[in-house]
Amino acid sequence: MVHGKTTTANAILNNPMYSKINGSILFEEEDITSLKTDEIARKGIFMSFQLPEEIPGVSVTNFLKYAKNKITGKPVKIFEFKDEIKNYMEELNINSTYMERSLNVGFSGGEKKKNEILQMLVLNPKLAILDETDSGLDVDAIKTVSKGIEMFKNDENAVLIITHNTKILHSLKVDYVHVLVDGKIVKTGGQELAREIEENGYSQYK
Amino acid sequence: MGNLKLNETPIRTSRNFNINNIKLENIDIPKNISKFNNIKTTTNVQEVTANNCELTYGLGNVLIDQIKNNSNKNLKIVVDNKKNENTLVEFNFDENNNILIDNIEIIVNENCTGTIIVKYNTKSNIQCYHNGIIKIYAHKNSNVKIIVVNLLNTKSNNFISIENELEENAKVDYTIVDFGGENSITNYYSNLKGDSSENNINTIYLGKENQLFDINYIAELRGVKSNINMEVQGALNDNAIKHFKGTIDFKKGSKKSKGNENEFCFLLSDKAKSLGLPMLLCSEEDVEGNHASSAGKIGEKELFYIMSRGFSLKEAMKLMVKAKFNKILESIDSEELVNEIVYEIDKRLD
Amino acid sequence: MKSQINEINRNIYDIKNKDEYDFKIKKGLTPEIINEISNQKSDPDWMREFRLKALEVYNRLELPTWGPDLSELDMSEIATYVRPKTKLNNSWEDVPEDIKNTFDRLGIPEAEKASLAGVGAQYDSEVVYHSMKEDLIKQGVIYTDMETALRDYPDLVKEHFMKCVPVHDHKFVALHGAVWSGGSFVYVPKNVKVDIPLQSYFRLNSPESGQFEHTLIIVDEGASLHFIEGCSAPKYNKVNLHAGCVELYVKDNAYLRYSTIENWSKNMLNLNTKKAIVGKNAGMDWVSGSFGSKISMLYPMSILNGDGAKTEYTGISFAGAGQNLDNGFKVVHNAKNTSSVVNAKSISKNGGICTYRSLVRVNENAKNSKCTVSCESLMLDDISRSDTIPTNEIRTDEIEFSHEAKIGKISDKTIFYLMSRGLSEEDAKAMIVRGFAYPISKELPVEYAVEMNNLINLELEGSIG
Repeated sequence: MVHGKTTTANAILNNPMYSKINGSILFEEEDITSLKTDEIARKGIFMSFQLPEEIPGVSVTNFLKYAKNKITGKPVKIFEFKDEIKNYMEELNINSTYMERSLNVGFSGGEKKKNEILQMLVLNPKLAILDETDSGLDVDAIKTVSKGIEMFKNDENAVLIITHNTKILHSLKVDYVHVLVDGKIVKTGGQELAREIEENGYSQYK
Repeated sequence: MGNLKLNETPIRTSRNFNINNIKLENIDIPKNISKFNNIKTTTNVQEVTANNCELTYGLGNVLIDQIKNNSNKNLKIVVDNKKNENTLVEFNFDENNNILIDNIEIIVNENCTGTIIVKYNTKSNIQCYHNGIIKIYAHKNSNVKIIVVNLLNTKSNNFISIENELEENAKVDYTIVDFGGENSITNYYSNLKGDSSENNINTIYLGKENQLFDINYIAELRGVKSNINMEVQGALNDNAIKHFKGTIDFKKGSKKSKGNENEFCFLLSDKAKSLGLPMLLCSEEDVEGNHASSAGKIGEKELFYIMSRGFSLKEAMKLMVKAKFNKILESIDSEELVNEIVYEIDKRLD
Repeated sequence: MKSQINEINRNIYDIKNKDEYDFKIKKGLTPEIINEISNQKSDPDWMREFRLKALEVYNRLELPTWGPDLSELDMSEIATYVRPKTKLNNSWEDVPEDIKNTFDRLGIPEAEKASLAGVGAQYDSEVVYHSMKEDLIKQGVIYTDMETALRDYPDLVKEHFMKCVPVHDHKFVALHGAVWSGGSFVYVPKNVKVDIPLQSYFRLNSPESGQFEHTLIIVDEGASLHFIEGCSAPKYNKVNLHAGCVELYVKDNAYLRYSTIENWSKNMLNLNTKKAIVGKNAGMDWVSGSFGSKISMLYPMSILNGDGAKTEYTGISFAGAGQNLDNGFKVVHNAKNTSSVVNAKSISKNGGICTYRSLVRVNENAKNSKCTVSCESLMLDDISRSDTIPTNEIRTDEIEFSHEAKIGKISDKTIFYLMSRGLSEEDAKAMIVRGFAYPISKELPVEYAVEMNNLINLELEGSIG
């Protein structure tokens, strides 16, 4: 993808800092174009941020517990829930002391990205949009992120991975590859399209 | 001889903190004022009979009235050029010109840009008295840079009241070099009434012997997206005292505005004294205000490192002070003036 | 975006009892009234003289020329002494029913059972209940009301009473000196560590009256203590006045933590004075939550007199409609190797005014000292106000001093981030505000004072847990 990726993700989540001029967004045949961000999230859409916000004084656990409660509308059983978080953290190589740390405060770039994947796993959306979750990560961290995505995906959900480079696709099997240029999808293919771009670059699409 | 109470802060705090104003005793406020002739200016500076003395704040009635009734130099500068125009006003104090009561009015026309240097200088050892006003009207889209340099000796009295009015998208950059005066008292007020107006103040002060600096900067943000930055760096040697009062006031309507205030004071002697009151006042929600202030002596490690390269303690100290001031000195375009200021730093720290 | 943070639920604080009392002095301030208070309290002669002198000082001093407007305070309309219909009780059962119910509702007796080493409860001008765990009594810890202390430990009281906070400090200290009544006296002997906190609770029920309790705490060398004070009152239409005085002596190598949850009603003028003198290598920590009052002027002060003395102040103010909370901290570094850390926060909403006002003074003899100040103010709408007015006076070069302050609103980006996780805008803001207050709320002993949950856990839809 070349241009308009992050804009697309923000438009889907109806970020008030972006304005939509025309068109509509349908999710499971429902028009969600003008729903509020939290309503869209509760419909089952998740977006991982390139620059996740820091929230001092709110621990990762409390935040997830609260968000989970809002998404499902059900009370969260705290002991089971903590175990679930702990398991995911282990899988994602996140030190369990991070459970009690303030959300994203003082996290490194990689830790923030992994925390986004943790949130995705815990909140279990129907559609996860991962906005450049791989950028700025080293090889090991990319592997961890891929592992998280593998753990997440199943027949019931969808993952939209927004990326500049195709490295993350080495360790992930994807169903479709779309090339986005200036806000338009110019080419769609399977995993082989990613390999082709890796060899020849994007220039042919510009 | 008279006593003066000057430089009131816009909001009072406990009287016991001794910072709401400055009281000076036994100040020789001259009554008989002769002409001040030793002045050098560029041709675009006009001498006028009088300028407006109405100020929102100002140092205090006694001094402002003196300017109203007894000024011996009233100047008017109109910046009406789209290209950057350089203006110089240089007051050289000496035996025959030791009292200056001046009022400088600067009008920066719409879309115009200029640089103005105002310098108060003395080579002589005589006690001088300076009491002045600088008032700037910065019209729409104008851009002016003004450099005020006080290099009077440490026996003199330096009083200055500055006021700026900024219209939409106007930009006013100040560099203030405050080295001279047994008492150097500055009142500075900016009215950022225009949307997207911007005011930057960069100040360095250097105190020694029994010098007293009382610096009172007030910025009121009224326009949407207006912007104020105050950067004050100083060093105090011997028994020198500095009071810095910096107020950033976000008034109703100043949405999306930003204000920053940063103050640092090097204490070069254990007798020097630094008093600071960095105020942030806010009655608008969507704004960003920050202030930071710190003080301390030059780090032992840095000093040791520099001295290990063959510098004496005094030289090392000068080097550190100049390094600290460098960022602000760099904002002055005139190399000649920078050299002169650096020379003064070396001389005054000797 | 507009903020929707609800204000604190005050219901349980606002239940008033009938204005019943054993004795209520007539309104106003005259030597006759002061003499009458002395008679009622059977003061020793020195205290009677002390009160009369303090009244003279009060009459001489002016109102402050800075800060919130106090012109609505009319001392001729305030009754300075109201004795409740009971004596000091050591057993909760003996406290009269309506007073007992008041403290029951505030959760005081449960707190005592759960996690306190001792409790004192003051109702209007006198302490109605005091108790302390047996083992502390055995170790020589004294925890009682000031009147008992004046009778049973006259020398200790006379040596320390209003020596830390002298009557001419300001007008309301002088007033306090003249009309003080009630309050707590604590003495912790050398090297005794009191592991669980002591708490005093102050309740002002009587309308158009004042509460002037005096708290005097001496933590002797090597000893340690955590003391908690809570305050509340039901709301009346006319102003009530609180001008208490807290004097803390933290001797060499001792440690004292003093926590306050202040939730006076919104007709209260809270003009309280608190000061600590901190000895060699001793520590003094203040934790302060200021939620109630119409006007508050409160600036706890640490005087670091001993080498190596340390102090920390952690405080939050939350001002809503009609509130003007002018709070802050004062510290004087008076010896070498001393250190101070200040962490102050404020939240303004619905037209509320928060001011952080402070003094840092580092004297010539405070070589090799350190001072770090951080202030953060949150504006929740554009009709409120938030001011930061700190004075920093540095008189020595051997100091590491830094001061930082920030004013702003909740960032739209942060709200969007939280909303993308399913939180409504209101929930998102509430969560951010709770997070903002967390550094203070975590310092407060939440688990035993029911009021804490009401104060810090702001009344929000579906709050955490």
